[in-house]
Amino acid sequence: MDETRKKEPLIRVEKRKERPAKQVRLLRLASVLLAIVAGGLFILCIGYNPFSVYATIVSGAFRSSMAFQATIKLMVPLLIPALGLTLAFKMRFWNIGAEGQIIMGAVFATFFALFCWDFPHWLLMICMFLAGMLGGALWGIIPAFFKAKFGTNETLFTLMLNYIALYLISFLRDGPWQDPNSSGFPKIARFGENAQLDKLFGVHVGWLIGLVLVVIVYIYLKYTKQGYEISVVGESRATAQYAGMNYKKIVLRTMAFSGAICGIAGMVQASGSDLTLTTSVAGGVGFTAIIVAWLAQLNPVGILVVSLLFSVLEKGSTVMQSSYGLSAYSADVLQGIILFFVLGCEFFVRYRFVTRKKGGKA
Amino acid sequence: MKKKILGIVLSLTMVGAMLAGCGQQQGAEDKKEETKTEDTSKEDTNADDAEKADDTDKKEDAADDSKTEASGKFAPVAKEDLKVGVIHISDPAEGSGYTYTHDQGIVEMQKELGLEDSQIIRKNNIPDTDPTMTEQAIRECIEDGCQIIFATSFNYMDTCEQLAQEFPDVIFSHGTGYKSNDTNFNNYFGRIYQARYLSGIVAGMKTESNKIGYVAAMGSENSEVTGGIDAFAIGVAEVNPDAEIHVKVTNSWFSPTEETNAAKALIAEGCDVIGQHCDTPNPQTEAESAGVWGVGYNSDMSKDAPDATLTSVIWNWGVYYTQAVQKVIDGTWTPEIYFGGMDDGLVDITPINEELCAPGTKEKVEEARRKIMEEGFNVFDGVLETNDGKAVGTEGGTLDDATITGGINWYYKNVIVD
Amino acid sequence: MRYQNRKKREVTQLALDKVENAIELRGITKTFGSVVANDHIDLDVRRGEILALLGENGSGKTTLMNMISGIYHPDEGSIHVNGREVVINSPMDAKKLGIGMIHQHFKLVDVFSAMDNVVIGAEGKRIKPRELKEKILELTKKFGLEVDPEKKIYNMSVSEKQTVEILKVLYRNADILILDEPTAVLTPQETQKLFAILRRMKEQGSAIIIITHKLNEVMEISDRVTILRKGKSIDTVNTAETNEKQLTELMVGRPVTLEIDRPKCENVHTRLKVVDLSVKKADGTMALKDLSFEIKAGEILGVAGIAGSGQKELCEAIAGLVPVETGAVLHNKENIIGKTPKQINNLGISLGFVPEDRLGMGLVASMGMVDNMLLKSYDKAKGIFVDRKPAKKLAEELVERLEIMTPNVETPVRLLSGGNVQKVLLGREIESEPSVLITAYPVRGLDINSSYTIYDLLNEQKKKGVAVMFIGEDLDVLLEISDRIMVLCHGEVTGIVDAAVTTKEELGLMMTGSKREGVKADG
Repeated sequence: MDETRKKEPLIRVEKRKERPAKQVRLLRLASVLLAIVAGGLFILCIGYNPFSVYATIVSGAFRSSMAFQATIKLMVPLLIPALGLTLAFKMRFWNIGAEGQIIMGAVFATFFALFCWDFPHWLLMICMFLAGMLGGALWGIIPAFFKAKFGTNETLFTLMLNYIALYLISFLRDGPWQDPNSSGFPKIARFGENAQLDKLFGVHVGWLIGLVLVVIVYIYLKYTKQGYEISVVGESRATAQYAGMNYKKIVLRTMAFSGAICGIAGMVQASGSDLTLTTSVAGGVGFTAIIVAWLAQLNPVGILVVSLLFSVLEKGSTVMQSSYGLSAYSADVLQGIILFFVLGCEFFVRYRFVTRKKGGKA
Repeated sequence: MKKKILGIVLSLTMVGAMLAGCGQQQGAEDKKEETKTEDTSKEDTNADDAEKADDTDKKEDAADDSKTEASGKFAPVAKEDLKVGVIHISDPAEGSGYTYTHDQGIVEMQKELGLEDSQIIRKNNIPDTDPTMTEQAIRECIEDGCQIIFATSFNYMDTCEQLAQEFPDVIFSHGTGYKSNDTNFNNYFGRIYQARYLSGIVAGMKTESNKIGYVAAMGSENSEVTGGIDAFAIGVAEVNPDAEIHVKVTNSWFSPTEETNAAKALIAEGCDVIGQHCDTPNPQTEAESAGVWGVGYNSDMSKDAPDATLTSVIWNWGVYYTQAVQKVIDGTWTPEIYFGGMDDGLVDITPINEELCAPGTKEKVEEARRKIMEEGFNVFDGVLETNDGKAVGTEGGTLDDATITGGINWYYKNVIVD
Repeated sequence: MRYQNRKKREVTQLALDKVENAIELRGITKTFGSVVANDHIDLDVRRGEILALLGENGSGKTTLMNMISGIYHPDEGSIHVNGREVVINSPMDAKKLGIGMIHQHFKLVDVFSAMDNVVIGAEGKRIKPRELKEKILELTKKFGLEVDPEKKIYNMSVSEKQTVEILKVLYRNADILILDEPTAVLTPQETQKLFAILRRMKEQGSAIIIITHKLNEVMEISDRVTILRKGKSIDTVNTAETNEKQLTELMVGRPVTLEIDRPKCENVHTRLKVVDLSVKKADGTMALKDLSFEIKAGEILGVAGIAGSGQKELCEAIAGLVPVETGAVLHNKENIIGKTPKQINNLGISLGFVPEDRLGMGLVASMGMVDNMLLKSYDKAKGIFVDRKPAKKLAEELVERLEIMTPNVETPVRLLSGGNVQKVLLGREIESEPSVLITAYPVRGLDINSSYTIYDLLNEQKKKGVAVMFIGEDLDVLLEISDRIMVLCHGEVTGIVDAAVTTKEELGLMMTGSKREGVKADG
């Protein structure tokens, strides 16, 4: 062998041509199954029976109407923001600010709950709903304006706005909106009955709002002119201008809607679930919703399915944790494993490994 | 599109105009009402302080004897059918702080009554700032068939109140708060100030620099913490009138870094005994590494800082938990407020470390203990001088429980807060 | 296994016999997913010869060369350099073997001088600038390169940049040179200069592979031609023994005519008048300076010029996509400057525009034909919903009429071949019944068949009385299809000439800045 002759690397990564849609779907399904297997191995490693643990997760989410109601209650704050984010993501506007938009929606709605609690119930609900939309929309328009006007980076901008919103709650909680009855404990008063979202089948009507939004967002994106504009802008700004679209207007409008939907989630969460305003009103769902939206490939119906699966996992995990005495963190690890596989499969959609062939070459 | 926005703006302006008429916070009105009731109760106490004190004693006695009375609104539960739910704010595995202490109480109750592991449903790491998670955790306990649920952190209170209404057959017992109802929701807490008073004596005897540090979670607006400081300070003054109590506030119940920093700062100021009202043992370990001494809290912190901890102010929550669950089994549970003291064994200090403590400490502590247990000494007796020169209390009287739990917003004369 | 060993020995033996082969490829195969880019290709390049690699777009030329220069790795087959089998895992390996590749897109650092660009990435010790300069000057003399070592890249013309790329390769003592479509960006005069350099290198014993699809250049410069078609090596012929027609047939796979029609039209009159148009680029420099010309109904106005002479800005200014500094664009006396595409459309003026960037501007790559048909007309439907029915009908009609190869009208257009993409785009623009049709590089990257379809479509429009503007890069094509040709240089018009009486060389001179005042061709 010559000195100059080198070996080919053992494994190479190559970009592949697009796989057919059917194959991609199969790959994704396989990754979910693999994730469940790997999660099972993890459970086995910490000394439990994976089958019974998985069974506990599922039954924990569905075992009674109360359990199912709790599952749905967890689903709502994932579903609605994911729908809102879908609008922005379709436009390739990297809205990482759902968290802040949810919070602002909740803050605006809480204003009415605290200070206009004597309104007739329906008027109060409508005011809170609209205020929630306005709060979220405001938090969506700000980064959109700066992006359209000055070309700022929306990822950082929306991310930073999250913290501003969060600290705004802390400020309100410790100051102007502090519950006068809490003997110094920093919290905002619980909403009166009048300011609580009505229930339907044992769960606040947020789930109904979510379902309606699924339909609206689906139709909006697929069949309306504005939805079409969003797709074009998302693909290429140059194409949008070529087609005579007003780029700035579309970006501002879409982000207003995106934020408004997230704001609805905030209103629903505060008045339907928390029944007060706390710093954990968003509690990270704004980030989880990003994953939900992408896993569902920005398809509203898919988002409904994925957010339900997420909430089953979440609800089931808490039951698993208490019935097996597992640390809450092991449930997180399990969720992490599943996400790792599902997201990791995207790599194999686009790339493939090539191993060195055995034997000599012709 | 434009019309839609315009519509929203218009309706909001309209609503804005209405705000002028409804610009008062809902809570504020509630507050007014509540102060009114408090006022009446205060009048009562003022009118007949001694009787009030008697009342409390009687109530405690009654609590002890209630087994025989069988006046509960709930049917007895067979021991093997019983399930107990516990909502913890962190994980008992933390090993020395608030949650650990409560969980030790649950464990003791379980042992005492002979319950199976599967009869205790624990929900760990439930942040009390997240009502949704709190509600879900409690609901899961209900689903699992719990007859009684202990919610150990303050801010679970509102959720408990609401769910108590929704589930009248389930008993909700909430720690450290102030709300309750007259059917299935009570509140439990204890006279920890009694133990703090004893620990003040230990610290006062020990200090050589006459500067005692105190890491406090909350400022003067919080009566629980402030009353604790005052009781400690009264104990110090009892044995060492020259010593000062230096207080640092972290503004958080649980903040390892802040607590460490506060202790460091106090030691740097010359304090040689560090007391604490916060969740981690960090002030004690800090004291140990600086070669000074300290007084622990929650559980026995001599396991964390054996060479520094003179004694620890501790809760024996098992006393309450055992009693409450026993009553559920017997069908005698009533929603009365539980405010146990040293005589119940709910609060105490750990046996003092005689190698570390000043000679004669043990005798002084025993004497004080006897005063509390046998002579009805309530720490906040008589006229007390505050550090801004005012006087609190009446000659021959003592502060009532409502004031102790919610109305101590002043510091005793030897306390310095910076 | 034993068979393979024996075969390898044979190959080695063979290589020793024919050491004049600088590179031998044997059975090279490369697949991307389901697409076979190279299918068992054999290729020899001798020292002291220029080999032309001829093939249409997508025939696998660039893929093959990328494997020699270490960018890709073959799935099968072997590469021999100077008679020895080698494995090339990276461009670094290729460099060590004396292989240099000049890509279509130059890989130079703009703010560095020619000298600095030559030494970065080169092995060996740092040498003093003076020595380096001497060494470079020596090289330039040896090969007849014209380059100032001190000049910064951003001050250079395209041709100069290319020269620096060649210098870079020579400095590293590469004796195997691969050039990917080197003349695409050059004027005829610059092309001649390049060819002179290549001939000098050939005389010095280098092996040169030139990738191209321009037949006249193949005939002019190469010694032998290897023709690829659909990933397969079809034939290798000696240039002296072939002609353009034969090469085309080998390349396309069947006989084709090479003439482009230029029908004469009646009633030719001014449709669009551009007066003193000036446009700035995003960086503030002038892209167009006081441009004035007319486009007439019933003619094709060709626009020639080296890349970046203002063609893009011209199209976009007329289409209302970029703001202009001064000037007017009159469409039948109506000034459309300063108006958005929508406003122009609302005036009842139908402006067809086939931009250079088809998938990035003219079409939405991830959408199917139906949605792409809607791009300029989605807003016309009443109400808030998009009406897809007429678009679907239109898409289906186009598929039939223009023979667009697509699985169905909902398949994302990015999955279609270049020719089909262009048919979709041009088809849509034609369907809007434009009065002016602006096309930028409409046949770039298209195979010969598709190109001729596009020429026919444009001529059809011209016959209908549409004013057509054709921005092109292949001067032969421009000369054949246009009625008049406008030449741009640095954003200025250097001449508008009658295509029928102009030569390529004349165009070339104008493209590099010499004005032609005398010749006026007003049609």
